[in-house]
Amino acid sequence: MFRIRIHGRGGQGIKMASRVLGTALFQAGYTVQDAPKYGAERRGAPIFSSVRAARETINERGTIYRPDLVVVADDTLLAVPAAGTLLGIDGHTVVLVNSHEPADTWCHRLNITARLLILPACTEVEDRADLPHIGATCAGAAARLLGVIARAGLLEAIAGELADLGPDIVAENQASALAAFDAMADWQGAVTEGIAVAADNYVVPDWIELPFDDARMAAPDIRACANSVEVRTGLWRTMRPIIDYDLCKRCWWVCSTFCPDSAIAVAEDIPVIDYDHCKGCMVCVGVCPPHAIEGVPEYLAQQQDKLQPAPGDANATETADR
Amino acid sequence: MSEQRINRMKDLPSTHLLGTGTPMCSGCGGLEALHQIYDVLGEKTVFVNAAGCMTLLSVYPFTPFRGSWLYTAMASAPAGAQGVRDALDILLQQGRLRPEEDLDVVVLTGDGSANGMGLSATSAAMDRNLDFLYICYDNEGYGNTGQQSSSATPHAAITSTSGGSCGYPGYKKDLFSIWAAHGPAYVATVIGSEPLDLARKIEKARDLQGSRMIIALAPCPTGWGYDPKDSVEIGRLAVKTGIWPLKEYIDGQVVHTRIPHERAHVEDYLRLQGRFAHLFTPQADPAIVADIQARVDSYWDKVV
Amino acid sequence: MPPKLLTGNAAAAWGARLAAVDYVPAFPITPQTEIIEILGAWLDSGEMPGRMVTLESEHSMITAAGAAAATGVRVFSATSSQGLLYAMEMLYTVAGWRAPFVLVNVSRGLSAPITLEADHNDVLAARDSGFLQLHCADCQEVLDSVLLAYRLAEDPLIRLPVLVNLDGFYLSFTREPVSLPEAEAVRGFLPPFDPRDIRFAANAPASQAVAVLGGGPYSYFRYEAHLAALNGVAVYERVAAEFNTLFGRQRDAVECYKTIDAEIVFYMIGSFSTKAREAVDRLRDAGQKVGLVRPRLLRPFPAGHVLTAVAGKQGIIVIDQNLSIGLGGILYTELLASLYDKPGAPPVVTSFIGGLGGRDISPQEFYHMLTITRQAIASGSVPPPRLLYTAGELREIRKLQAIAQVEREETAPGQGPIRDSNTAQETPRE
Repeated sequence: MFRIRIHGRGGQGIKMASRVLGTALFQAGYTVQDAPKYGAERRGAPIFSSVRAARETINERGTIYRPDLVVVADDTLLAVPAAGTLLGIDGHTVVLVNSHEPADTWCHRLNITARLLILPACTEVEDRADLPHIGATCAGAAARLLGVIARAGLLEAIAGELADLGPDIVAENQASALAAFDAMADWQGAVTEGIAVAADNYVVPDWIELPFDDARMAAPDIRACANSVEVRTGLWRTMRPIIDYDLCKRCWWVCSTFCPDSAIAVAEDIPVIDYDHCKGCMVCVGVCPPHAIEGVPEYLAQQQDKLQPAPGDANATETADR
Repeated sequence: MSEQRINRMKDLPSTHLLGTGTPMCSGCGGLEALHQIYDVLGEKTVFVNAAGCMTLLSVYPFTPFRGSWLYTAMASAPAGAQGVRDALDILLQQGRLRPEEDLDVVVLTGDGSANGMGLSATSAAMDRNLDFLYICYDNEGYGNTGQQSSSATPHAAITSTSGGSCGYPGYKKDLFSIWAAHGPAYVATVIGSEPLDLARKIEKARDLQGSRMIIALAPCPTGWGYDPKDSVEIGRLAVKTGIWPLKEYIDGQVVHTRIPHERAHVEDYLRLQGRFAHLFTPQADPAIVADIQARVDSYWDKVV
Repeated sequence: MPPKLLTGNAAAAWGARLAAVDYVPAFPITPQTEIIEILGAWLDSGEMPGRMVTLESEHSMITAAGAAAATGVRVFSATSSQGLLYAMEMLYTVAGWRAPFVLVNVSRGLSAPITLEADHNDVLAARDSGFLQLHCADCQEVLDSVLLAYRLAEDPLIRLPVLVNLDGFYLSFTREPVSLPEAEAVRGFLPPFDPRDIRFAANAPASQAVAVLGGGPYSYFRYEAHLAALNGVAVYERVAAEFNTLFGRQRDAVECYKTIDAEIVFYMIGSFSTKAREAVDRLRDAGQKVGLVRPRLLRPFPAGHVLTAVAGKQGIIVIDQNLSIGLGGILYTELLASLYDKPGAPPVVTSFIGGLGGRDISPQEFYHMLTITRQAIASGSVPPPRLLYTAGELREIRKLQAIAQVEREETAPGQGPIRDSNTAQETPRE
């Protein structure tokens, strides 16, 4: 059975990618199961989807814990433990990452033994998160890695999946997917089908007796206040608002009042954006009377940060590690 | 739309459609209104009933209805009406029901359901412009369970859950205005003691399309504490004192159908009822009575 | 027609469409909403005749569904979790009306704490309502069960509403190959609704759902509903056989997977039972004679079929994806009640609570449940019911509690630590 997990952020076409792969595998004669997994649906929040494909009936279901292929559409997710991108990977797993950085860098940084490949960018973009048709691109590359999906099958699956969006959108997505499919030619069939967990010599689950706890802790109550600040929603951001203090009129209220996330504080008439939490909605850019706030692609801004450290910590994890 | 037929008292029917033998209390002002309403609506109706006193109109194996009836639950009679209306429309459209077999759908609820847990379903039925008639028999409390206060209970009335020296502390909810704010086809107040006014309004409602909403004040000997023989007199006094304004909302306008120019003092109405006895004995509480009178006066000052 | 990939929700919508339903009262709730969105799109485009109305609550939705069914049209509705419970009063009520219709429930754990993923406490809360219940393990079964459900509901021997249950996420949002039968073939299996005397019409006045006074008449009407439900076992068998003939899919009231020579069987319902199938296959690879017994039909409870399936086995492993608080697993207690004193009833029945709120059950956990059950059979000592919950999961909740600043010691001033040291064993058992 092929077990594929695709990680990305809400809005990147992750569900579409899994459905394209699923449909293409199904048309190639496999029994298929595919499913997106999201909590409260939020644009920018981490999501993933799963595809299983086998020649026989698929009885497994739910999250894939032993993936043969992991596709990461957004490399910032690799730094977010809660996203679970690396769950269950081993030497058998192929990890395909959409990143500007080379595979060696990621293998070293993540200290993993899995085969890590970089998604080829067929369009030059400043930020890999802005790659057009990212879902279709991931699907195209993944299709080649599986080695069992033909070009025609891939194109047909995209046409079927995106039919409602019109022929132009279909054609654009097909072009992106095909470019990725072709670019991965050297890796044709790099992903092989994994095997099920054997029932002899299995690892005994570390079950415990759940202890009785007093209702004061055993009820779903939070006694902390405003600890949501520990959730670094700044990682959702693809565009970064930057204040030009030469243009800022020190009005003291406009940007901070309209910022939905309370992520702009004004101290002594100086507004400061909290990049740990700014989601990049760009409301402040639109409302600033003297147009003193500019939107800059996050990727470029991070490159600037490396040259010259700026507010916010680009390597912060989404939920503070405790 | 048919011509209005009931113009004078002598146009009122003398034989009645609603069957006798119901377990409603002797002297029930709600039943008095209902049987007059039924005479106008006729048997080509399906009554969709919510929990309340009139749950017991049909107790197996007896029913007073010559037409049809469906008992639902306290909160959702208008949703039941939606299901029946939609199903009848589907059957008509499919040719499985002949037009002459069609029924008018009528919701029947007490004030407890109408003002409380049924209000959401009622509001939504009006939002959908459900083609139905809604009749609330308003005896100003949860009568079927022994007259606990509802949000239709009037100020100062003693109920089994507001038994203190001052009675019910709140003021009767203005359900008429709440309903009218939805902009339905028709809203009207009626009372069984004014049969001509009632018949004209029901006739008008019957011939309109959309949501048609009726509140019938239902003098209640059991819950209000008076002799059953006084039901009609108390009903008339409710109108004469101006406590129960007879009015209708149609085409965006509220029109009063009976303006009591020489209003009787509210005391005339209150004194007849045990639920207000504490306002007069052992010693009088003129402040509360004056407050009630002032509110009635203030209402009519704005009307006239 | 070749199979196509459909989510469980889409399969449910296709079931309604192929059943040619007339009326769909609706209300949105995750993870069910997709069903009414799909139906709404078909009704809007005219691909499907019929009418949909969005009510303001599930309580009203079920009222409208029952009222329309009582007027004589074919009704479909769907809900989930909190919605099913919000409608609970009306579930009992409309079943008492003897109004036949089909309600799909997309299972989701109940609040509090509120959550999104599946377990079966929602649908099992309705088990005494008078709705018959069909439980699905995969997306194909969702479609098939909706069609079977109409045959059950509308059968003159039954005339009760039917709940078809599918698991949120694990089926609702999961695509699997689903064969869509031809509409013509479905009409042969499920002809247009013949309401017979179920109607409201001017020429046939009727008072429905009338009050009774006194326990005698009440007992009569309620028990008659029970007898009608009990007819469901035989009717289901007949209808499923017909379905199999027409569509080539066997939908037994109780699925028996590799049970004939099995010494021990897993017993569970819902989509996680395919995980049990997988475990059975792997255990058989390892030489273990195990099988799976899965009631599709849970109401009426097919006690005879279940007994036949488990008779003579050494043990049963019951996995409850539900929890009757203060008692334990619902399937476990119902199974024990149905087996008590029956010849051939297995001597050992072990109880595991797993999959609450969509918590996964791993292959290793299935294997280990078998190991524990074999030990119980060997020793003659049956372990108490166990929650499938690992030390790692407890560590994780402790981390979350630290973030929530639930101070364990401080919360019980003067009473010492609030966790009883006798029960606070956080170490692996065995």
